[in-house]
Amino acid sequence: MLSENKTITILSVIAAVLFVFAFLMVIFYAPIEVNMGLVQKVFYFHMSAAWVGMLAFLMAAIFGILYLVHKDLKWDRLIASSVEIGLLFTVICILSGMIWARPIWNTWWTWDPRLTTVTIMAFTYIAFILLRRSMDEPSKRAQFSAIYAIVGFVTVPLTFFSARLLRTIHPIIFGSGEIDMNLNQPMLTTMFISLGAFTIMYVALLLQRAHLMQAEDDLMQLRMHTEIDADWEDQADA
Amino acid sequence: MKTWLGTAWVLVWKDLVQEWRSRDVLTSMFSFAVLSLFIFNYALELSPIDRAEIAPGLIWVVMVFAGTLGLNRSFAAEQDQGSFEGLMMAVPELSVIYLAKMITNLLMMFGLAILVIPIYSLLYNQSLFDLRFFGILMLGAWGYSAAGTLISSMTVQTRMRDLLLPVLLFPLLLPVNMAVVKSGSAIITVSALPEFQSWINLLLVYDVIMTVVSLMVFEYVIRE
Repeated sequence: MLSENKTITILSVIAAVLFVFAFLMVIFYAPIEVNMGLVQKVFYFHMSAAWVGMLAFLMAAIFGILYLVHKDLKWDRLIASSVEIGLLFTVICILSGMIWARPIWNTWWTWDPRLTTVTIMAFTYIAFILLRRSMDEPSKRAQFSAIYAIVGFVTVPLTFFSARLLRTIHPIIFGSGEIDMNLNQPMLTTMFISLGAFTIMYVALLLQRAHLMQAEDDLMQLRMHTEIDADWEDQADA
Repeated sequence: MKTWLGTAWVLVWKDLVQEWRSRDVLTSMFSFAVLSLFIFNYALELSPIDRAEIAPGLIWVVMVFAGTLGLNRSFAAEQDQGSFEGLMMAVPELSVIYLAKMITNLLMMFGLAILVIPIYSLLYNQSLFDLRFFGILMLGAWGYSAAGTLISSMTVQTRMRDLLLPVLLFPLLLPVNMAVVKSGSAIITVSALPEFQSWINLLLVYDVIMTVVSLMVFEYVIRE
């Protein structure tokens, strides 16, 4: 069995190598799409970021349930780490999507169900981080984080469903909005490699962040102990 | 089961009596709602036809914003007087507290709707008296109170308190908002909406899921 530090290092190295590999594939291997041209290449990382954003939210909810069952702060650190990473990747997803949408849809933003859902998800993440920052007591904070992660995740499918229902009433303004991307084999390969790279990167970041939080907690514990010791000494002197 | 519902009813009655004696919360919610209607009037100078279309949305937005005032106060009495421990010991199961507070909040929204709808109809010379529209508002208010009571029970225990409630609550409310506004405006403008039934189903699904999940997790919110 590898030590935690070693696992994190190995995973990070794999993620970094795969990421560079995927990047090179996007640039040199994946062909240029006929209709959209170069900008279509945003798609590979855009989709991978969206996937990690969703995955991070799902994992946060699962860690939330695990925390409520086991009451182990280990799960709390994983919830918080997952949410932070999820927010980062969701923002990457939104921004890269906008870069693509501007030339293809001729607008930065449209009220498409996926766009709406992902952005609301980002706001839920932000709210989650604010909630954590306004609480001090670790166990209470962990309970609230777990509950909000679960409740937030439950509403995501409903948000998506309602946004899709809304879309069907509205005329599709961008007639060519749904360009079916016919992905050929090199494109599919590139997509799966970047999905893999992003997923491993998520796991590596998750473990790294949780590890860092553990170190923060340990440091806090040590500080508290030394302060108590110092108080004792003061009292002894007096 | 009987004691469970009975206790919930006692708690709701207690909160309602308390509110009736001061009328603090409902008065603030009502004034806020009417003032918002005035602001909207100048912000949106609309022709009567356009106004009919957005009326349900306007009413709902006003209710959502005014409702946060009530939600923020829903655990205030217990907080101010430090009687929460007593309340926790008095109930057979902790989820009863959630149920009672949720029903109280729902009734507050009910009262708010009863006050705001006639005033809107009067100010804008447009009748919003329609039982189906009212029913949709109440379905929305149920989902709103279900999510809002859970979130407010959390935010009162944080440092930022009132500031945090809308930030945490509004992202969760998007499906409710869309469903109420869409189905409501179909009723008021008497236009055909093929997805009408889907919107109502969505509202019901949201209400039930939110209530059940909240009942399940509520004890973790208040237990140390």
